[in-house]
Amino acid sequence: MRRTTRRNFLRGMSGAALSLPWMESLCSAAPSKPVAQRMAHFYVPIGVVRRGFFPGEAEDIIPKGNLGNVMTSLGKQDPNFSVKPLTELTPTMQPLDGFQQKINLITGMDRTFQQGTDVHAQCASCYLSSAEPYTIKGTAWPLNRTLDHLVADQIGTQTPFPTLEFSCNSHRDNKESIYFDNISWYGTGHLAPSIRDPRKMYRRLFSTQEIDQYRDITDLVLEDAHAMRKQLGTSDREKFSEYFESIRTIELQMDRLEKMKAELSLVKLDEPPEAYLPRGEYIRLMGDLMVVALQTGLTNVTTFMVGPERWDTPYKFESLFDTPRSHHQMSHNQTKMINDLLKVDRFHMEQYVYLLKRMDSIQESDGTTLLDNTLFTYGSGLGDGSTHQYNDLPIIVAGGGKRVYSGQHINMPEGTPLANLWLTQAQLLGLPMKRFADSTGPIGSLIAG
Amino acid sequence: MWKAALNANNLRLAVASSLILVLMLNTSATHSAEDFSESFLSLTQKHCVKCHGAEEEIYGEVNLQELSLDDLKTNSELLRSLIDVLDLQEMPPEDEPQLSAENRQLLVNQFQNLLHESLASERRYLHAPIRRMNRFQYNNAVVDLFDLKCIVFTLPERMMRDHKGYFQPETGKMAEVVTVGSRPLGKSQLIEPRLMGVAAFPQDLRAEHGYDNRGDHLSLSPLLMEAFLKLGQSIVESPDFSPKNVGIWREFFAAPAEDVDQSAEVRLRLKKFLFKAFRQPVAESQLERYIGYVQHQLESGVPFPEAMKSVAAATIASPNFLYLYDKTDVNETSELLDDFELASRLSFFLWGSLPDETLLELATNGDLSKPEVLDVQVERMLKDKKIKRFCDSFPSQWLQLERIISSVPDRGKYPDFYFSKYRDSMHMMLEPLLLFETVLIENQPITQFIDSDFTYRSILLEEAYGELATEPVDKNSNEVTTLTFHRVPVTDRRNGGLITNAAVMTMTSGPERTQPITRGAWIAGVIFNNPPEPPPANVPALGEKPAEGEEHLTLRERLSLHRERSDCKGCHEQIDPLGFALENYNPIGVWRDQYENGREIGMQGTLFRQHQFNNVIEFKDAILLEKDRFTRALAGHLLSYALARELGAADQIALDEMTQSVISDKYRFQSLIKQIVFSEPFQSKSSPKIHVALE
Repeated sequence: MRRTTRRNFLRGMSGAALSLPWMESLCSAAPSKPVAQRMAHFYVPIGVVRRGFFPGEAEDIIPKGNLGNVMTSLGKQDPNFSVKPLTELTPTMQPLDGFQQKINLITGMDRTFQQGTDVHAQCASCYLSSAEPYTIKGTAWPLNRTLDHLVADQIGTQTPFPTLEFSCNSHRDNKESIYFDNISWYGTGHLAPSIRDPRKMYRRLFSTQEIDQYRDITDLVLEDAHAMRKQLGTSDREKFSEYFESIRTIELQMDRLEKMKAELSLVKLDEPPEAYLPRGEYIRLMGDLMVVALQTGLTNVTTFMVGPERWDTPYKFESLFDTPRSHHQMSHNQTKMINDLLKVDRFHMEQYVYLLKRMDSIQESDGTTLLDNTLFTYGSGLGDGSTHQYNDLPIIVAGGGKRVYSGQHINMPEGTPLANLWLTQAQLLGLPMKRFADSTGPIGSLIAG
Repeated sequence: MWKAALNANNLRLAVASSLILVLMLNTSATHSAEDFSESFLSLTQKHCVKCHGAEEEIYGEVNLQELSLDDLKTNSELLRSLIDVLDLQEMPPEDEPQLSAENRQLLVNQFQNLLHESLASERRYLHAPIRRMNRFQYNNAVVDLFDLKCIVFTLPERMMRDHKGYFQPETGKMAEVVTVGSRPLGKSQLIEPRLMGVAAFPQDLRAEHGYDNRGDHLSLSPLLMEAFLKLGQSIVESPDFSPKNVGIWREFFAAPAEDVDQSAEVRLRLKKFLFKAFRQPVAESQLERYIGYVQHQLESGVPFPEAMKSVAAATIASPNFLYLYDKTDVNETSELLDDFELASRLSFFLWGSLPDETLLELATNGDLSKPEVLDVQVERMLKDKKIKRFCDSFPSQWLQLERIISSVPDRGKYPDFYFSKYRDSMHMMLEPLLLFETVLIENQPITQFIDSDFTYRSILLEEAYGELATEPVDKNSNEVTTLTFHRVPVTDRRNGGLITNAAVMTMTSGPERTQPITRGAWIAGVIFNNPPEPPPANVPALGEKPAEGEEHLTLRERLSLHRERSDCKGCHEQIDPLGFALENYNPIGVWRDQYENGREIGMQGTLFRQHQFNNVIEFKDAILLEKDRFTRALAGHLLSYALARELGAADQIALDEMTQSVISDKYRFQSLIKQIVFSEPFQSKSSPKIHVALE
């Protein structure tokens, strides 16, 4: 195998020649396969500065807090449904220039906060489940099986990994609990942990280590598990099913990776270096790994957290600030920090656009691009990091090709649950789903044909 | 609705020290229920429902408007929080009509009676769900199972490294001079003898106001299961997994002599090994499966040690090894643990690991649960070196010490905090840990945590303390790899105890100024186990630097300008005095008498609206006056850690009882540990009444 340095690789990715040799060889390696449908979610923590992101809010007052527990917008949003062509881009959305025809800006989507936890604790953790408050017993979180896993139950049944979870949380301290660090859950209280380290992700995807040796072991321990299950009470039995599911998933994964071995050996991607990477490079490297996983069919469903929720401690945003910063702390002081926060918002948007470009540059066997076959959503669990509102969230849906009407700014009527979008995406990906969490119906303006 | 939210999160646990009340219980238990019903209604109408029921906005989601005594009887969690807020004088808020002392006491007493009544009929403890081991426990369990002479992988969560073997619990005495290192902040602290080629899985995060062993936070995923499978393999395949490093090599891995019946030998070895790994008797069918696994390997030509390595790797991927759980019981009420479960609960509490052979043997004979046997065993465990794991896990989480890792005081303002490439916090963080270990090992009273007559200091740390150095420092020390700490007497009571440690003062400050509310919240949560509710979501934090026109104000004045909202007051009346009491310690723990703008520090306040203090020594005295509350609070922390779950109303009675026993044994720490072990919740298990399911 010819070894490419990471440097070359990155240059190739961001340079003009976006279609690299190894990508083509991958396409030709499997010409007969029908093109898979994929879904990817790009999560932005701690909301955005509304003035920078939302059309028509540029002159709204800057939040100072002191709103009690109202948790609503300070500015006024249009409560009525409208669909307009997406022509002008707000400052935060500027990096999307050129992609207007492949995206939809969706405004007016709301969630409901369930009293009983810190406000940030539900932002990310319940973003992709959006359960109606108080419908899940025995937990303070309205947290159910998340959209990515529900969708993977349909379109991830043949890939080695049903889903992959990426996180760009580089904090070394253990300040926050799991609820601030994850958007993907198999079910209530059952975490689908993300990988933060690009090397670990790389190894997971491309490790050539023989894993067949586990087979004898899994046979043996599964017997133990069956015997042990009989000793457990009802609720423990339910939780313990995680063990069986995990073993089963690994066994399938081993079979499928085995079948893809020849194909994967064509991927000329070096193992990432152990060295510290500046924040942007780190995020893009994780993104490259996500794109290659989607492209090669290692998985069809991914989630990507560009940073953790809350986490008061600072880290470096190279190229933006000279000293380490805490996104969360800045968000509580919008009056002073608004320009820096706008920089962070824009920085996150640039990373999203980098991935859009990557996906759009990859041609699939039927002539469409990877982006055409991926529903790739940008979103945050908060409408604003300062007001902590769960309404009027910033959402962009890219990709989807001919199945989706694009190039629009869709403003949903006041009170439209975010779950409507998740329902729409599930339906677009072929799930015979009538309702998702607290949804009231799909977003018709997105569905073409 | 509000009930669900209250149970899950708003529950204020574990503060009321109600010892006297417990004594009063028997005399007043049934005293005219009707009278009380009437006075209850009139008192709540007068003092509570304005905020809790009468108006549209219901504060704290507690609605007392349509609540009868009968409702209360069936809601032990609500009862518990009512007792707490009344007993701690948290309610009614200062600017509302106050309860008279007699009426307050009347309500507290009667609520106590109701609580005991409602729990006496059915004492149900919360269920600790089945859970996989966390990373720390896994490491320890593997070390103990194979009797490894090195660790499996490096664990930054063990904050303090012992360099020259100072830790000798069997002596009952902590060394005068200790050589230690700070794992997260020191140099080369993670380079320890370990198994090469073994990669750890990610650290498990701590639950909010809880510990990293909490059952509801520890679940398994395919990703993690794969890690466990790989770990098993890489551990036994590591070049360091050799006769030299593996204590059980001869008895388990080494090929038997030629004249020994190999299959009988395999059976014998596996039986013992699996018993230890699974910490309960191994069923014959299970044993047969494992024997079959080895035989299959041997028959296909795998050398004996390799076959045993392979079965060892399988063993530590088995759910019987990886999971902690209580066996099923169909009873709706709680029942006692069996002896094997008790052995595991005990060893995971104190050793963060598997029970050893002694404990398993006692369990086999059914002796372990006998009080006199259990007592001897706890004594033995406290004197075993493995108690270091308790010291490596509990105190740093209890004190939330990981927060100091990311403390970065402003370099311009506090240049002395930084030396070469390091920070003073590297030394600071070890001081409270050494104090904790000493109080435990020497079985000192836990009041030392509030106000100790000794502490451990390095030269660098003495220097960092400035005026608060225990003795004058005359030479520079820049230790970064191994740090030498000396035990020094504390004569100046501004020093000593955990509360005023430079570590705590630094990690509860911002880069440029102290954060009294953060400090207050720390004291409320850590010392009194009564963490405040998170602040309303959308109140901005006070800026690091004074706003224009506010430069002349003290921090207290700035903060009071900043929070004028009436719904903030209730909580802040509670936590602010606790934080302002420490204002004489600057953001890096150095003593100061005035602010930079020349204003005097105003730290005066009142603890629990009862004990006035005018300086930090009086503040410590005030806490010492409430030492029974502190004892109960620490008992609550320990019990929650020991049981790997949140505490519920049923645990409160046990906390009352154990607090009283600890008081009568002069507040000794080991006595508290024993009380935990002997408590009913520790020795009980229960399975949930309702089937928790997704809908």
